[in-house]
Amino acid sequence: MQPNIKTGITFGIIGGLLTFLFGGWSVAVIGCFMGIGLGLGFGGRIEKSTPFNMAKEASKPGFTAAGVLLIVSLIQNFVIQGLIGKSQAELNTFIFSNLIAFLGSAGLTCLVVSFGGYDKKKEQTYKLALLAAVVIAFPFVDNFTELRWTAQIIFALIFVILGLGLNIVVGYAGLLDLGYAAFFAIGAYTTGILSSPVHNTEWNFWLVIWIAAAMAGLWGLMLGAPTLPLRGDYLAIVTLGFGEIVPVLFKNLIDVTIKEPLTCWILPLFRIQTTCITFFEHADLTLGEKGISPIGRPYLPIIGEFESSKPITWYFLIVALILLSVFIINRLRDSRLGRAWMAIREDELAAAQMGIDPVKTKLAAFAMGAMFSGFAGAFYAAYIRGIFPSVFDFSASIIILCVVILGGIGNINGVIVGGLVLMTADRLFLPALKDFLTALLTHTVLPSISNPAVQAAVSANANPILYRFLLFGLTLVIMMAVRPEGLIPNAQVRAELHANEEKKG
Amino acid sequence: MLELKDVHTYYGNIHALKGISITVKDGEIVTLIGSNGAGKSTTLRTIQGLNRPRSGTVTLDGVSLEKMEAHKIAEFGVAQSPEGRMIFPRMTVMENLEMGAYVRKDLTSYKDDLEHVFSLFPRLKERINQKGGTLSGGEQQMLAMGRAMMAKPKILLLDEPSMGLAPLLVELIFDIIKKLNEEGTTILLVEQNALMALSIAHRGYVLQTGEIVLADDAKKLMKNEDVQKTYLGVE
Ligand SMILES: Nc1ncnc2c1ncn2[C@@H]1O[C@H](COP(=O)(O)OP(=O)(O)OP(=O)(O)O)[C@@H](O)[C@H]1O
Ligand SMILES: [Mg+2]
Repeated sequence: MQPNIKTGITFGIIGGLLTFLFGGWSVAVIGCFMGIGLGLGFGGRIEKSTPFNMAKEASKPGFTAAGVLLIVSLIQNFVIQGLIGKSQAELNTFIFSNLIAFLGSAGLTCLVVSFGGYDKKKEQTYKLALLAAVVIAFPFVDNFTELRWTAQIIFALIFVILGLGLNIVVGYAGLLDLGYAAFFAIGAYTTGILSSPVHNTEWNFWLVIWIAAAMAGLWGLMLGAPTLPLRGDYLAIVTLGFGEIVPVLFKNLIDVTIKEPLTCWILPLFRIQTTCITFFEHADLTLGEKGISPIGRPYLPIIGEFESSKPITWYFLIVALILLSVFIINRLRDSRLGRAWMAIREDELAAAQMGIDPVKTKLAAFAMGAMFSGFAGAFYAAYIRGIFPSVFDFSASIIILCVVILGGIGNINGVIVGGLVLMTADRLFLPALKDFLTALLTHTVLPSISNPAVQAAVSANANPILYRFLLFGLTLVIMMAVRPEGLIPNAQVRAELHANEEKKG
Repeated sequence: MLELKDVHTYYGNIHALKGISITVKDGEIVTLIGSNGAGKSTTLRTIQGLNRPRSGTVTLDGVSLEKMEAHKIAEFGVAQSPEGRMIFPRMTVMENLEMGAYVRKDLTSYKDDLEHVFSLFPRLKERINQKGGTLSGGEQQMLAMGRAMMAKPKILLLDEPSMGLAPLLVELIFDIIKKLNEEGTTILLVEQNALMALSIAHRGYVLQTGEIVLADDAKKLMKNEDVQKTYLGVE
């Protein structure tokens, strides 16, 4: 069988299985995404010719995939819905969603492949235009179809920014930072402290987000300065330490007294009478385990205050932040500093011989990376309206690192895809899978189990969210074995990892 | 002018340089010869600030280098084609050469300098987009030299540029060194191939277990009996 057709069938089945979890209109959205994905995948494999011929070439596997998706979706509606105790979709919804899924999937596959028939520049423009259309349309479609994915996608996008920031440190400068969530926490807490009614400091979000970024950057400098002369493994261990300390610090900043030393301690020593100037006395800055809540939200003239019930505004805010980050990071990478980072990553000693100051360069990477984390932290705090120290523990650092590794170390597009894939899996797929399994079990297996203890055990353990770290780990292990360079690799990393194979072949 | 005065360098307890003094005047090629482990590379590393002398002074144009950080020394005008080449393996030939020019503030002649490197090493031009790590040993050697040249240094330190090269290429490399010097580059050349080195150098030093045992004009050194016996293989 032709490999493209095989890929088409595989995608069709996977896409179809996803509709099991979400039901309703999801098949239409999944179909369209699948079409774009397949189009991008086939693009490189189909021989270059005119756009029309390429589209024609792609139509076979494209329609195969769409057909498979349709079949699985039919099974979903007529068999699975019954099994999990739900009624079938309304006829109208069912017909329209599947029609859109079928045509959208096949059509988009052909469309995206046909872009390859134009010259490089046009192809790029068309792809970007399609991407922009998808990004803009997504929340509206989501709203209309009542899938309610946007709120979760926003979390994924927060991790995209975090991944982009960490990518500067790990991908560009080659410094393994295992405590990156510390800067995320610093950004979030800065926001919490500066714009919460709890502290009577309701500063404007648009100001606070910059302060948070600056604060995280500053801490990056402070934590980096004593540690960055260290190399490799040592640095990783020290950053691990910081990652542990920072959340604990925030947990304990609940009784802070800051006095001006001169008037309070030094002058009294010489028996000079002064009034002691106190900045804070027994101030509870972070409210410990309880966390700071609520936290002020952004406000924009026409839109008004951003509300949790309207994720669309938040969605476009985070998309704007990502665009800004990508723009800045691209400029940075191509700058003199960017080249210095690459040189340091390759060989620190040789870089020094080229006249690059290793400590300063690494410090810049650390601080820049921290800054983006600060952005993400400020957005996060405002978005969920509260912050709790447990969010920023070691596992957060590891998840961000996973995003970078899964996507492709050193590649911006890779990190974006990595963040989206990993976090949508975590925030959308796993909960949906849990609901699906619970429903399936309650209507099939559970009633036939007579022993109540066993019944309870089965239903309690059939919760994939419990296994999330196992799944993260498994994904990484499989990735490293199958595709160590990540989903969308950096050319240099790929060259290095596959150097031997190329020589053989 | 580069001047080392009574330089002592240690690796832990190992006394690698035992009070050596060397001068390289502007426009000269000076060669440093000696057997394995004599301390030649250590001397170059000490000049470049990668090893610190425990005592003694290193000055370039009257500015003392011994406390300057390595990257500042590079900025000040010392470039090295080091032992083991130390090119950036995942960067292309072009990117490696670009890194060489990193220290330069004035990039007006950048294009010409690049062309100059390519005219000396046409092999590099053919492989402009190849990753440094995948070049052959000899090509890497050329790249290391080209990269050092791109810095337009006050003094160029070359550590065994002929190592691992085919005999024909060895001659080519020495021709290039000579040409570079004629164009005005001051060079301190470390070599195992004493005959070749002495034949292009103005002056030479013989280093033995961390001490300078001979220092003279290159021509005279070539005629010296000890040198002939030990380093030139003349019976
Ligand atoms: N990093 C190090 N740690 C300990 N000893 C070292 C180190 N580097 C060099 N040495 C020692 O210092 C002495 C001088 O070494 P150096 O590399 O300068 O020799 P060399 O003259 O360049 O020799 P070759 O011709 O083999 O390159 C040797 O005895 C060597 O073992
Ligand atoms: Mg040596």
